[in-house]
This record gives sequence, C-alpha cells and structure tokens, in this order.
Amino acid sequence: MRGLAAFVLALLVTSAHAEEVVPGEPEGRDVPAGAPAVDAAGNLKPDDEYGPVLLIERIDITGNTATQDDIIRRALPIAPGDILHASDQRLRNARFKVLALGFFREVTLAMHKGTQRGNVIIEIVVAERGTFVLNRLWFGTTDASPYWFGTDVGERNLFGLGIAVGGGFIYAARGSIDGTRDQWAGELRLADGSLRGTRWGANGSLTLVRGSDFYRAAGNPDDDDNANFRGFPYRRFGGRFAATYDISALTRLSIASRIESIAAEPPSAPTRVLPDGRIVNVDLHVEPGNSRVVTAGLGIDRDTRSDPILPHSGTRIAAAVEVGTSALASDYDFATIFARFEHWWPLRSERHALGMRLAGGAVIGNAPRFDRIHISDVNRMLTPRALGLVLSSASPLDILTTRDDKPIYGELGGSASIEYAVRLFRGSGRRRVYGGDLFVGAGVWGLAELSDVQLRDSGVWGALPIDLYIDAGVRVDTDFGIFELTVANALGRLR
Amino acid sequence: MRVVLALVVVLLALPAHGDDDKPETQRMRFIERGQSLTATGNIAKLFDQAAYEAMNSGFPSTIRIGSAVYPRNGTSAVAFQIEERSVVYDLWDEQYVIRIDGPGGKRTRRVKYRAEALKLLTAIDDFPIARLADIPLEDVFYLTLTVQLNPVSKETLAEVRRWISQGTGGGLDRGGVFFGSFVSVFVNPKIADADRVLRIRSQPFYRPKP
Repeated sequence: MRGLAAFVLALLVTSAHAEEVVPGEPEGRDVPAGAPAVDAAGNLKPDDEYGPVLLIERIDITGNTATQDDIIRRALPIAPGDILHASDQRLRNARFKVLALGFFREVTLAMHKGTQRGNVIIEIVVAERGTFVLNRLWFGTTDASPYWFGTDVGERNLFGLGIAVGGGFIYAARGSIDGTRDQWAGELRLADGSLRGTRWGANGSLTLVRGSDFYRAAGNPDDDDNANFRGFPYRRFGGRFAATYDISALTRLSIASRIESIAAEPPSAPTRVLPDGRIVNVDLHVEPGNSRVVTAGLGIDRDTRSDPILPHSGTRIAAAVEVGTSALASDYDFATIFARFEHWWPLRSERHALGMRLAGGAVIGNAPRFDRIHISDVNRMLTPRALGLVLSSASPLDILTTRDDKPIYGELGGSASIEYAVRLFRGSGRRRVYGGDLFVGAGVWGLAELSDVQLRDSGVWGALPIDLYIDAGVRVDTDFGIFELTVANALGRLR
Repeated sequence: MRVVLALVVVLLALPAHGDDDKPETQRMRFIERGQSLTATGNIAKLFDQAAYEAMNSGFPSTIRIGSAVYPRNGTSAVAFQIEERSVVYDLWDEQYVIRIDGPGGKRTRRVKYRAEALKLLTAIDDFPIARLADIPLEDVFYLTLTVQLNPVSKETLAEVRRWISQGTGGGLDRGGVFFGSFVSVFVNPKIADADRVLRIRSQPFYRPKP
C-alpha cells in the first residue's frame, strides 16, 4: 500500500488550487535541511577537488592580434609544469582572470591531450575588443561660464602591452565676472596596474590648468548675480606619481607624490561687502606669484560590489591621506584626509537595494585653495569641478533654512546619503543593454571652515553649515557606455 | 528636455525587456521520503548545444540548484537548499567524472557517455527540498528552483569589473574621486553571473492529513 503512495498526482489542479503531496516510501535516507554545500563566495572548498590529476604541459594562446602573449600568461593562475586536479579552482578561474584584464570580449578555454599520459595542453582562444574608452564628457552652461565643453578619453591597452594611457581637455568660456578669463585645462595619464605581472603597479599624470577662480565680493548669499563676484587668474602645472600594490584582487594600496607649481595673481587685499554694509577680508588661500606644492600620500581602496554600475550588494571603502610640508620643499604646510564608504543591502531577492553612502574629508593647515573641499564636491546638485576648473557661481538651494552663507571652499566637508534602487530590467549579457535601475536618493551635505565650527553668531540651527540634497533618476548600463540621467546631473549642467 | 531624456531611457530599455527573469511555471511532483519532502521536475533545457559541447572541454561544467519553499502567500522561505553538480571530462581515461555536492552529502560518479553525464547533472528526481517538520500539514506552499549553469561568484564578478571603479589613477585634484559617483565608460564588457539561468516555480501544493 505504501508503494502506491509514491505515484504522482495525475490530475493537476489549476494554479489557483493547491496540489496534494503524496506520502512516499521511506528510503532510509534522512536528508538534513538547510546548510548550503558551498561557501559564502560560492566556491567549493579545496578538499572538494575531484577528477583526474593533470600536468599542464603547455599553454597555447590564439586570437590575440594586439595583446602580447605575456600579458595573458601573467594574468593566468596556472602555468606550464603545474600539477592539479581537473576540478581545481585555478582552472575554473582562469577564464575570468583573463577577462579581468578588460582587453577581451570573449575568452574560451579548452584542454587537449599532451605528449604523455596525464599531460594536457591548455588552449586559450581570445577575442579582442576595442579598448579605447570615453571616460567623461563635459558640457553645460552657467552664468559664470556661458558654455564649456571637453572630454576625457583613454586607451587601456597601449600597443598590446597592458599599459593604459589617457587624457582629457576642457575649455570654458569666460562669463561676465570681473577678473576672470577663458579657462582651459589638460591632463595626460599613464598607468600599468600590474608591472610585469606582479601585484605592483604604477601610474602618473601631468596636468596643466589655465584658469580663473572667483570669490563673493558683495551681495546676499543667495544673489548669484555675476556683479557680486570678483575673479583672479591662476595657472597650475604639476604631476602626480603613484605606486600601487594589490593586497588582494579587490583591495589596492597606493603611495603617491605630487609636485605642482602655482602662478596666481590674486588681488592684493580682497574684501567682501556684507549685506549689513561691513567690509571684511577674504582669504583666498593662494600665495600671490609663484608657489610650489609638494606632497606625499597614502591611499587604500577596497571594492567588493559585484556590479559597480548598478550595485545591489557589496561594499566600497576608500581612504587617502596627503601631506604637504616645507620639509618636502612645499610652500604650503597642510594635510588632507578623505574617505568614502558605500554599502548596499539587497532587498527582495536583489531586485531592490538600499544603499548608504558616506563621504567626507578634512583639510588641516595652510592648504592651497585648490586642495580645499569645494561646495560642488559635497553637494551633487551643483556643477562639479572639471579638471580643477570652477564652472559655476550658483549658490546651493536653501532647503533646510540653515546657515544661508555657506562657504564655497571649506576645510571640513562631507555628505551622507541613502539611496533606494529598483531594478527596471536586466539583460542576458548577450544583448547590448545589460540593465537599468531607477533610483531615488536623499542625503545631507555639509561644508565648513574650521572657524565656523569653533564660533557662531546665531542660533544653532541657523549656524549649521549643512543642507539636504535630493536626487532621482535612471542608470543604464550598456555595452557602449554607462549613462546616468538624474535630476542632480541636469542641475549641474544648468545652474 | 526631460521628455527627450525619458524617451531615450525607454528606447534603451526596450531591447532588454525580453530577458527579464520571470520564473516559468512547471508542474512538479512532490513526494514524502522518510523525514524529507522531495520534488521531481525537469531542468534539461538548461544545457543548450554550446553548453553540451563544453562538457568535452576538459574544464569543469557546474550547475548550482537552489531550491526554496515558500508559503503560498508569503515571501519568506520556510526551507532552502543548495546543491552543486559538476562534471569534468577525463581526456586520458575518456570518461566523465561527476561530483554531486548537496544536502545528501558528496557523491562522485563516473560514466562513459556524455548523454549519461548530462542526465545525471540535470536529474531532478526525488530532489530533497525540505524537512517534513518544516512543512505543516494542510498549509499551501510553492517551490522555486533557481538553476545556474557555471555560476560566477560575486567576488569574481567584482574582480572582472574592478577596472571601472579603480580607473587609472588621477590628476592633481583628488576630492572629486571621493565625492563623485562613477564615471561614464564607453565600450563596456560585462560577464553574466552565470552562463545560463533557469527560474522555475511549481504549482501550489500541500501535505494532506494522513
């Protein structure tokens, strides 16, 4: 009788009706529930290796017309002479290690018999892709600059050597602010993320800026008329050189040095007429004439987000410290520390996600103007700086009615925001559109001079140098680029 | 201006809508075996021709079967299982070695023919999905199966795309690096988190009182 219980229900009810489970015949096999057979990263444990033991006799690489064989071989976790199981994790990962170079559209691996029993020849067939990259496009219009345009491009695999080279250029037309001029800036970069296949990398850049910056000389804090500002010209030329070390595949340490010369022509005694008629001095934080900035810095970056474009899980943490001192022949003695933390919690089977972003920094000492935190760094609803150029004089929206005279440059600054993302769609990977998310976010940003924190001449709320930022939009990840269409992005191009 | 932007988004989104991962409904068979509830279904279509050919490559092919039992009107699973099945072809002995690693423990099988190997890999016959103790009598549940072919770990996915966020160093200005969001990258290869994914949802079922 119990054997009959094992038969399948022949008549299945419609989806509106539940189907009855048939009691089955016991088999003496008690199956424990719950515990997954794989670890959190989804990998089998090392002692789970099985299959034949192989000796890798040779690795053949085909399909690479630009990329040198050595670049691929260095990336591989296997090499001729290795003895391993056919199920070894290194064999499973080999394809992805090559894909992680970013130079190939497809990587296929196959195994063939070698010259002796147990020996194998690994064949790697790659399909190269274009490695020319458009990093950024700059364009927009504001009162301070009637138009600006520029681009930043790169080649990630120069001459097939795995070296990245890139550069950007931006031009911004002069507005009607007295003392300003047409601005332009250019930058060249060179980087090798893995020197001869080691964990060490190096990068360097040269930047030339012919700019002009401005300060508020009169008017109410929310009066953005160009007549209320005064400008001054400056020129910056310098380079940053860094060595990097990959602690792990997802964590990178860097040590950097910067040498920069500044030639500025600020007014000899810049002042501001306050709304109540008082006249106060303005510190522009830049030495008149020629000056020099020399710094040394240390940074760390760890990124475990499985998808940096449409993140629904994982964490990114980055921090950097930079010190400039006369001991290094710098005319400015200062230190900066910046940090960023981002975490994403998947919700509803990763179809939705809640993200938290914290970013902040502190500037200590006599830092040059350009190393201070600009208001557009912390408030995404303002036009961001591009290659160091300030492109807008717009004051931030006063949403919380806190302190109305927020500084343009500050020594303490940061933002904290929460973002909720909803998956609009996901492609299969074979299509050219990978996915899109709708997101809405809100947060608090703040920017202050140290003196603002120490002294206040109004109530606590009215003195708080913080305010809200709100953003919403769509992110689309495609084969040909990443697009972010957001309210804050639009405001940043028009205000 | 905003209308134009919205139109662009819609146009970009349209080509990918067909790939969205709605589960397919499959009629499955549920049987009580000892202290377990088991299910029988079909996931053979996980393997297309290319995946079938890849079983001969000498490299492992892996499928991961995740099962979850949900109350009919609930979203929290009352039982959850993962089983991983892999196959490698032994070039020298000309046989397929299959490893099954799941709640029932680890088992290794060797078979001569690829079709046999495929059958072992994709068999969902009396597949344990829950302890009977977790499935109260008369309550209505449904089963979901998420079956991935050659799943890629989140860490590996992050490694493959890390160059997007790490970039190639920066210039004189560092503040924007910490406060900005991501850059726009054109020509942007991406790998899927599995070669192929099947999402299956069963018809509702319940355990009748004896």
